[in-house]
Amino acid sequence: MTYGQILWGIFEGFRVTGLVTVLGLAYAIPFAFIFGILQHIATGWKGAPVTIFIEFWRSSPVIVLLFAFYYTLPLFGVTLSALSVAAMVLGMNIGGYGSQAVRAALQALDRGQTEAGLAIGLTRSQVLAYVELPQAIMAMVPTFMNQFIQLIKSTALVSLITLTDMTYRAKEISQIVFDPVAVYSALLLAYLIICYPVTVMGRHIEKRVTKGRRASDAI
Amino acid sequence: MQFDTAYALETVPIILQAAGTTIGVAVASCFGAALLGFAWEILRRSGRIMSYVMRFVIDCIRSTPVLAQIYFIYFVLPYYGIRLPALLVGILCLSFYYSGYLAEVFRAGIDMIHHGQMEAAKALGLSRRHTIAFIIAPQMLRNIAAPLGNYFVSILKATPYLAVIAVPEMLGSALDIAAETFRYAEPLFVSAVIFLGLAFVISQLVAQMERRLMASHRR
Repeated sequence: MTYGQILWGIFEGFRVTGLVTVLGLAYAIPFAFIFGILQHIATGWKGAPVTIFIEFWRSSPVIVLLFAFYYTLPLFGVTLSALSVAAMVLGMNIGGYGSQAVRAALQALDRGQTEAGLAIGLTRSQVLAYVELPQAIMAMVPTFMNQFIQLIKSTALVSLITLTDMTYRAKEISQIVFDPVAVYSALLLAYLIICYPVTVMGRHIEKRVTKGRRASDAI
Repeated sequence: MQFDTAYALETVPIILQAAGTTIGVAVASCFGAALLGFAWEILRRSGRIMSYVMRFVIDCIRSTPVLAQIYFIYFVLPYYGIRLPALLVGILCLSFYYSGYLAEVFRAGIDMIHHGQMEAAKALGLSRRHTIAFIIAPQMLRNIAAPLGNYFVSILKATPYLAVIAVPEMLGSALDIAAETFRYAEPLFVSAVIFLGLAFVISQLVAQMERRLMASHRR
């Protein structure tokens, strides 16, 4: 097998890698916003269950969560496909990190913004929707881009629960051709081709966001 | 099949024994990653061409999954006749992966040092090496202590990845027990709970250290 054939063979697993990423986002984005906002709004003891839920998904190693859910859920009568479990666990884990970006961006706003909104007679949810979120959303973008890369990279884990993603394909190919240097360097190259553009784009956006903030500070 | 609580409790001491390996690997990898990351950052600052080269290298490290890097290092080293114990390979892998992230931490830490410090060192006639060792490094260490602590928690949470190359850390020992008894749910559940507790305790310690450092900053 030539190097090109190996690389092409690995990209046959891109369908699963992409699918887990997209399904993971479907969990991560709502989770990040709902729980980030809840943690921002909730005061005193009401915040505790929100924090516990976020910390559960954020503090455990994602590989341990994946194994634990994949093998433990059937015992409680919940049988999900490997794909569903993977998307849920990877998505919720990244969503936990994302929720902290949402909360931090909301809390970085001047308190006067919320107070002014309430003073002119908006409800708390209106203040959130029309005053706080529009201002905070740009500050979240750089962190979201980083988390997006983390999500793509963490999909390599699904190869351990029998899904044929790019990493799984690499392991299959390495059993046919004994050339670990070629196979695994092609695997690294495959992920690099996908993630590197996102990394560069993320840095570009981060620069623009911080520049924009500096300009508004001058005003 | 049902969740067997008695069996789960039986596995607790065995998995707890592996907690020492987990923490040891995390500490060693954190040191390795810091040394390597600092080297990347010093190289990046030694010339215009090097700064482009090193930025690309660091982006490459950050744009590929740690699992793919583990497979690469684990299978490629023996191919060239280098045989190391799995534990050492594991520390090498985590050091390499996190060096890309710590290089960015060092970059921010060095950027925070006032430019006058470098100029004063130059005016006093210190060599580049002496400036790095006696002027930059000590001031940088205070700047980076908090993010370094957070990355230590991340590294701790990445240690279970090493189960795939048979490092006897907590997830690895849980999977060993499971392979003997054909019951996966209980040991995996136990290892997840222990990981959660460990990560929680250590991130609390890091947060406490951060608060103390901030207090000394203000003084």
